[in-house]
Amino acid sequence: MDITAAIDEPAADQLLDTAIGLISLPPASGAGTLGPFFASYNASASLSSGDVDLIAPSTIRIQDFRLDWNLGFSFGFDLSSFLPDFCIPQVCIDIPCVGRVCTPGFCVNWPTVSVPVSFSDFVKVTADFGISITQTGGVWRVEAVVQGTPNIQFGLVTAGLLAAISLAITPILLAVPFIGPLLAIAVNAIIAAIGIAGVTGLLGPILTPFVSGLRIPIYDQPVTFEALAATSAIDPAVFVTIDDVKAIITSTNEDELVLTIDIS
Amino acid sequence: MSLTEAQSVFAAIHEDGLNDLLQRFFAARPRYLSYGSPGFVAATTVNSTQMSAIQFPGIPGGIDWSVQIARPRVDAHPQSAPLPAELDPLGLQRLSIHTVVEICINCNERQNRGREPENHPHDDHHGDKPPSGNLRPVCFKVEVFAIAHAERTSSPDGDAIRFIVDAIELVDLQPTDFETLIECLLLQILRAVLASVRLPLPALSAGAFSLTPAVGPEIENDQIEMYGSL
Repeated sequence: MDITAAIDEPAADQLLDTAIGLISLPPASGAGTLGPFFASYNASASLSSGDVDLIAPSTIRIQDFRLDWNLGFSFGFDLSSFLPDFCIPQVCIDIPCVGRVCTPGFCVNWPTVSVPVSFSDFVKVTADFGISITQTGGVWRVEAVVQGTPNIQFGLVTAGLLAAISLAITPILLAVPFIGPLLAIAVNAIIAAIGIAGVTGLLGPILTPFVSGLRIPIYDQPVTFEALAATSAIDPAVFVTIDDVKAIITSTNEDELVLTIDIS
Repeated sequence: MSLTEAQSVFAAIHEDGLNDLLQRFFAARPRYLSYGSPGFVAATTVNSTQMSAIQFPGIPGGIDWSVQIARPRVDAHPQSAPLPAELDPLGLQRLSIHTVVEICINCNERQNRGREPENHPHDDHHGDKPPSGNLRPVCFKVEVFAIAHAERTSSPDGDAIRFIVDAIELVDLQPTDFETLIECLLLQILRAVLASVRLPLPALSAGAFSLTPAVGPEIENDQIEMYGSL
């Protein structure tokens, strides 16, 4: 090989931290389930640094990199599913000199309500990345590509989101006539119906795609590489051709990410 | 032992890669290997660099001259290319350079009056020479070996390395005093030429990782090595 370039683990950590910070994740939107409910959502996310562990011969493990996310979703439910409908019958009384007076009878049929929820938090992800080397469109690229589907540990995020849902539900239910004494019952019933499983069931499919298939750039240079820039008409640019690129992780007295490059 | 040793970033270019890079450099900028006074080089272009004629009383315009240097090839320590006995063996932290230099002067036209211009090989080099029927180049070529070391410098593209010629040896030039004279001349010329060739660090690593140099350049393992941090 004509050229050898290597970085040790702290430098790889620094390099990948910078690269991760520059990754722009496209926003996502769609629909999913929130326990027994149906929710439509839109989400955005960004990544920040983790701890890099180079594992020979070709694994880059990034531990505890952060996925900061913002999630907006709304879900609807029929209150009648949680509270019994009831009727107040007509009551009549005879009043002397007035005659018979009756109150109107009516039934309370609980409405279907829609609850919008906004929530932001972060999760920490640990993932193993392989090394991808491609030459497409006249550009050599070396990237760290996440392997498989990373396991996202939601932890306290679920409790936080349940609390946010509870906070979002309360003012909406307060506007429902006659719910006063039943408010707490309704909220608790809805939160219980969603449960932790419902939250993770919603968050998992939303957040996992942000890190699945994640590609972190390591090397990105054109096949026709400008070795020296032009400085004047009599000193034009100097180009070399990058014929081949290889990348490997070596482990001696320290772990290193090594690129070898052939030029002509 | 790790490549980065006590540093965080390592970059090395093997002598084969360095030769490829130098070939590309001199192919794109041949003027770094071609010099001449106005009789040989009408103007400085990408192909040739115009220099002043050698001034001498009684010679109007001076003595025209040119120097053409063949694209050099380098061999980094440890030695793998043969060297003249005077330079053998190649020392630590050194590289050898092999090239051929052609030196020409324009012979005084008054002495050559009446002769037709010769079809001299020098005329084929570049299209920068003035159309002068009076040019009477007299040339000789000499095979040159040089020993050099590398040092860090700056360039328009950032940190760079360049080569400083330490010693030179010509092949089969007699008498000895003449060889010594030409060696002295070519040592200065090659030293100046190679010192002007500055190879930026990103070129030496083909853009792999950024390198803030701390140690090097070191010439060993048939390559030039740099150590530093991101």
